Amino acid sequence: MGLAEDLAAVVGSEHVLTDELERFLYSKDAGVIRGTVSVVVMPETTGQVAELVRVAERHGVPIVARGAGTGLAGGAVPIDAGVVVSTTRMNRIHSVDRANRSAWVGPGVINLDLSRHTAPLGLHFAPDPSSQQACTIGGNVANNSGGPHCLADGSTTDHVLGLEVVLAGGTVITVGGDAPDVPGVDLRTILVGSEGTLGIVTKVLVRLVPSPPDVRTLLCVFDSVAAAAATVSGVIAAGVVPAALEMMDQKMTVAVENWLHAGFPVDAAAILLAEVTGETAAVEAEAAVIRAVADECGATAVSTAADDAERAVLWKARKSAFGAVAQSAPNYYLHDTVVPRTRLVETMEEVYRIGERHGLVMMNVFHAGDGNLHPLMTFDASEPGALDRVHAASGELVALSVDNGGALSGEHGIGQEKRDLMPLMFSDVDLDAQARVKEALDPGGVFNPDKILPRGSRCYDFGRPIPEGTWI
Amino acid sequence: MSIRVRSLDEFERAPSSVTVGLPPAAHRVAPASAEEMTELMAAATDAGAVVVPWGGGTHQGLGNRVYPDVIASTAALDRIVAWEPEDLTVVVEAGVTVDDLESELAARSQTAAFLEVAPGATVGGVLSAGVSGYRRPRYGPTRDRILQATVASGDGRLVTAGGRVVKNVSGYDIQRTIFGAHGALGVVTSVCLKLWPRSSTSATVTVEDPDTAWGLLYRPLAVLQTEAGSFAYLEGPTAQVERDAERLGGDRRDGLVWPSLPSGEVTAALTVPPARVTDAVARVGAVGRYVAQHGVGRVDVAGGRGTDWAGLREWAQALGGRLTVTGAPDGFYDGFDPWGDDPPALGVQRRLVAAFDPTRTINRGRLPGGL
Repeated sequence: MGLAEDLAAVVGSEHVLTDELERFLYSKDAGVIRGTVSVVVMPETTGQVAELVRVAERHGVPIVARGAGTGLAGGAVPIDAGVVVSTTRMNRIHSVDRANRSAWVGPGVINLDLSRHTAPLGLHFAPDPSSQQACTIGGNVANNSGGPHCLADGSTTDHVLGLEVVLAGGTVITVGGDAPDVPGVDLRTILVGSEGTLGIVTKVLVRLVPSPPDVRTLLCVFDSVAAAAATVSGVIAAGVVPAALEMMDQKMTVAVENWLHAGFPVDAAAILLAEVTGETAAVEAEAAVIRAVADECGATAVSTAADDAERAVLWKARKSAFGAVAQSAPNYYLHDTVVPRTRLVETMEEVYRIGERHGLVMMNVFHAGDGNLHPLMTFDASEPGALDRVHAASGELVALSVDNGGALSGEHGIGQEKRDLMPLMFSDVDLDAQARVKEALDPGGVFNPDKILPRGSRCYDFGRPIPEGTWI
Repeated sequence: MSIRVRSLDEFERAPSSVTVGLPPAAHRVAPASAEEMTELMAAATDAGAVVVPWGGGTHQGLGNRVYPDVIASTAALDRIVAWEPEDLTVVVEAGVTVDDLESELAARSQTAAFLEVAPGATVGGVLSAGVSGYRRPRYGPTRDRILQATVASGDGRLVTAGGRVVKNVSGYDIQRTIFGAHGALGVVTSVCLKLWPRSSTSATVTVEDPDTAWGLLYRPLAVLQTEAGSFAYLEGPTAQVERDAERLGGDRRDGLVWPSLPSGEVTAALTVPPARVTDAVARVGAVGRYVAQHGVGRVDVAGGRGTDWAGLREWAQALGGRLTVTGAPDGFYDGFDPWGDDPPALGVQRRLVAAFDPTRTINRGRLPGGL
């Protein structure tokens, strides 16, 4: 039988998409890379996923897991006519354990749905990517997603207590659990952030954190990016790690304000959105520190959201920023790199210079507190050469971040987009070690091939014979 | 190209100042650099030798017994390489002791939130042994703070994973997988750690009922229970610490007064889902000394050979937890696995480890399942 028929035998033909238009829709994520899809399949159970893996292996076709497709690095886009396994139907919250502050959820559960579901218990899932209304927990696990509030709370990997995963051969493993300090090699840590290249996550035991009893959200206004960045460093140096510390530059502020009218000052060079959470006395003390540091660094205004409604407007404006840029040009390319936060000022200056050199508008809204930059270039893809200029500028942005002691990606992942830039950060030996991880867990290369690691990573020659007694 | 590897006999023996307290072994070496550590692993693999990496020796009681041909001391890897207070990161070599690092960081009111009571333990040792501090309710396990790690793999490769920034998704998180892997992915030579700022005000408050205290406080540093009583640990803005202390109502002492880990003939860690700590305390209370971490799910216990460890283990395992022996006389292990039942996905663990140490040069057999 053909591939589609074999897959249909597992999940039912109504959950297999083979139509050309449908396949085209699944051949791209929220980024700019398009791939090719042979068939889309939507399983509901772990058993079905295991069987699908076996079918794909039998047919010799790669499998690419996909959540909501909000990724930006091409991680969920098959390069070469793969089977897309959509986890959309695996969207059950299986159990919530209030006493142990955890929940078993399907990979297709939407990030914000989970936090809404557990809010009445005074608990929430801490990672909150800007796409949290759409992105899935499975996607968060694959990309080790962050969000504004991972400054104090940490990225997804800090919030995964256990995983059920289908590996090569359809083997199902469950690792981790509610009890801490699981002995042995912690496979959770290697699976989280592996971008679907080692297996398909079918259940996640997430850690839930208590919702804070009180919160202060401050809007600090500056007449230079440097003053805003100095405030970021100053706040940390004063011993306060806010729940979130977000920066927006003037171009971005103007775009957002045009659209949402959140009350952002359009004449400011930069604004900082700072949030502290906790008990009332603590947030008051910490908000006072932030205010004092901002004043000292020359803030032209500092205001505090008066109530939840005002606070919600500020956050909506921040998290909708990427939508607001549509008024500037038909296409945008959103970047994701990290630098040590002490290098923010010089990095930002160079980011603008790169934009000017390539004739691109560079807009910025980013997680300043942890040095996670998101330069966004707007362009018109129908203009000849525009995308080439964007790609050239992108390469320079990544090289700049790594040269400044940073990393290729803070939360979007490597995917296809940055795969060939990995040697900027890692030696041949380092990449070979990563390739060995892939080989150990997915020897047949069925899961999301040619992602994360550049081709040839595994070929490093150490010039030494294979030692006697090696397990091969 | 072929690289000549020194034989084990060609490595300089560690000086007696380093070998004090080390168990006997044919070769006791303290490599002066990460590169030399790597070369030592290659030599050991070529010789078919078993290596035990050695930091402070404080957690060598964990796991299955290993009888080494080579002891690889990290004593000479003793530098704090780069501390960036404003970035809240530090790069440190494996042989630096936790106490030395923390006292250095305290000068600028920062902490790596390592175990507060680990005299002599080294950074490389606590990472490899998977040891977290008491302040886990606020800062999470030590694993969450590993940003980058460099390891000398069992087959002699110097591998770096991760980056020196607080947020990073660039390739597989090997730097976190080393946590608790007892060197199976390599001897840790250096790491970059995420730090936390400390507040000037802290207090230790006696509480009657630790469960009530845990429910009352928003992210306390810790709520601990020992046979001497229960204590809540507070740190933060002065007004908040004062208010929390008042709400708890017990005796209050300024600063953080941590209990040392219980010691005895046999010591073990009982791990259970966090909400079952009180049940666990009810079971271990009769055994001997203990330190229970509420909200975390870990109880460190000290007892004797005659303690009903098997009964405790059975109870914990039924809850999805474990009883792991952390220290015992050699003979104790006959018929009593220090780890308990084999962990799930042992075969996958084995394949992953083989990617770094195909002949199991480092700590062969120490891990659960004899890995």
